Amino acid sequence: MSILNLPLEFTGAPHNCGRHSPQNTFSSSHAQLSIMTVFSLIIINKAGGLIYQREFQPGLRKLSTNDYLVLAGTFHGVHAITRTITPRLPLQNTASPVVASPGTNAPTTSGYSYPNPGVPASGLEYLETEKFRLTCFQTLTGTKFLLFTDPMTGSVETVMNKIYELYADYVMKNPFYQLEMPVRCEAFDRHLAAWLRGRT
Amino acid sequence: MTVYSFYIFDRHAECIYKRRWLPRPTSVGGKPQTQAGLGQTVRAGDDDAKLVFGTVFSLRNMVRKLGGEEDNFVSYTTSQYKLHYYETPTNIKFVMLTDLKSPSMRIALQQIYINLFVEYVVKNPLSPVEHPGGVGVNNELFEGSLEQFVRDQATFR
Repeated sequence: MSILNLPLEFTGAPHNCGRHSPQNTFSSSHAQLSIMTVFSLIIINKAGGLIYQREFQPGLRKLSTNDYLVLAGTFHGVHAITRTITPRLPLQNTASPVVASPGTNAPTTSGYSYPNPGVPASGLEYLETEKFRLTCFQTLTGTKFLLFTDPMTGSVETVMNKIYELYADYVMKNPFYQLEMPVRCEAFDRHLAAWLRGRT
Repeated sequence: MTVYSFYIFDRHAECIYKRRWLPRPTSVGGKPQTQAGLGQTVRAGDDDAKLVFGTVFSLRNMVRKLGGEEDNFVSYTTSQYKLHYYETPTNIKFVMLTDLKSPSMRIALQQIYINLFVEYVVKNPLSPVEHPGGVGVNNELFEGSLEQFVRDQATFR
């Protein structure tokens, strides 16, 4: 299956680039693409354990394996806390809960709503610092993908979606992969590296 | 832009000032009651401030580990709110929670430090050097100016 997919991957990558940038403005679009710098990727399982860590481009400081494990655990906890400190807006009067409640899973019995009704409260999604930008994507099953990019990077969504797709294809569909355990799938590594090299 | 809450933590990890703004009532019967729900000092007792401090402290350490000692975290965003962070060289931490539409509040927090905190708290001869339990920070001038500053931010952006 991977042999069949390989040529498709390689023909697919330039197509994607071409769609974003017309041929005549290649130099400027190339400069725009080169801004996109992906420093590293971390995958944390639903229990807060580190299951994947990989550096793509230098830029961040290197940590020991132990430090990465601590980082993953810390982030897991912080992520949960950032969800609990979501501001709760008290409802104005007893007539309004009907207005504020549709589509939310915010408890309406205690008389408050979230600032952004209709969207479930999530934990940290983007973190901005002076040196990098961290994007966190949590899947429905609780796995977290942490992507460290350049602070100037535009849409991380496409990169994140592709990484999730590759994870689904080459990690979850790997019959030898044990759930919640460290990811050691060569095909995943290879495709990830190839796709990111084609983009950045 | 809406500001939900604002915290100041000193270098001993203690919350020395906390203020929460309830949002303006949105057209409840057309009554102009803008001032009523705005700006209420929240009683100590709930541990929101401790959770905020824990979050900010862990993230700051994480960022320093990855980005180097001089790196600092500026803000983070969830699906519901945005948290802005500013730390002075003397380790006083300013934290502000706003809605998602707000621009970067780093400059605003710095302005609060320079124009309000230093002017009305640090330069106040009656205020102690440290502020255990918020003593010296909760003076009238500081609170009034903060109120005004946040209201200006909320209306003119």
